[in-house]
Amino acid sequence: MDEAIKPKQGLHKSKGGLIRSFVKTENGIIKDISISGDFFMFPEDAFFRMVQELQGIHAIREDIERKIQEIYIKEKIQSPGTFPADFAESIMKALEV
Amino acid sequence: MEEWRFIDFGLVDIRDMMAMDEAILKGDEGNTFFFWTPRKSIILGYFQKADVELDLNQCKDYTITRRISGGGIAFSDDRCRQINYGVVGTIDNDRFPLDIIGSYKQVCGVLIDTLIEYGLNAAFRPINDVTVDSKKISGNAQTRWEGKLLQNGTLLLDFDIEEMLRISNIPKEKFMDKKISSIREGLTWVDRELGEQRNMEEIQNLMKRKFEERFNVRLKTGTLSAKEKELTKSLLPKYHSDEWVYR
Repeated sequence: MDEAIKPKQGLHKSKGGLIRSFVKTENGIIKDISISGDFFMFPEDAFFRMVQELQGIHAIREDIERKIQEIYIKEKIQSPGTFPADFAESIMKALEV
Repeated sequence: MEEWRFIDFGLVDIRDMMAMDEAILKGDEGNTFFFWTPRKSIILGYFQKADVELDLNQCKDYTITRRISGGGIAFSDDRCRQINYGVVGTIDNDRFPLDIIGSYKQVCGVLIDTLIEYGLNAAFRPINDVTVDSKKISGNAQTRWEGKLLQNGTLLLDFDIEEMLRISNIPKEKFMDKKISSIREGLTWVDRELGEQRNMEEIQNLMKRKFEERFNVRLKTGTLSAKEKELTKSLLPKYHSDEWVYR
């Protein structure tokens, strides 16, 4: 992510851990996104594919959550205490002005 | 009685330890229980970012690496009063449950049984914590690989909250006092609970015994196999690399 423009950090605490998101949008589309935190996800490497696939989608909660749910099913992701809605919540907080 | 391997790695460089940790999981030497004592260091969880979590200017004298499991920072100060353990087990839905929280509960049971022996009110708090009177005393992290699990965790004997906050990426001065008191309410350590310093080896020996009782096995002291040593050697560059640590 371009360090020159520090976007707002979206912090959301799920039962499984803290999710930190940074998002950059252009014309309502997610252009750049970074997610990190102390949650758990199996298999771990599916996480990077999930973040990658969020680029280019509309920066609205429904689209974000639906996309993450799709990836959870496709990748057979398990993340105890953390759900797709938690990631969407963190991203929405990063998008707040 | 079934024998499982036990290794005490002693005082280690965490980059070497994380390479050995992964090698034990990916090797083929059977179920293993092990201890190590980290020097002044920070281990990032798999999904964390160093520059987001840490005030990197304050961490220059710390060895920093990342582990292959999720969860939060494992911070070790130079007091070295922490017991760090690892368990590698084949998931058999009996001693090592397939259910993630169930398996955390099973392994964390070793810590709970140990703390109860000292008269402490220890309990499992899902997903991955052990508490004493609702205060966190142990954090644990698990990953899985080809039908096996690796669980790492730490039992705090002593803890330097001020130092942890100094290296963390939080606004300093303004919230420092409030942060310290709120962390003191949510976190605890064995020395504080017992009101005295117990010998670390004594606690480790009790943990070993509680492990044997819980899993109904005998722990036999061993070492890394030649294959695990080879694997460790091949994994070491990763744990030393900026690409892995600062990604």
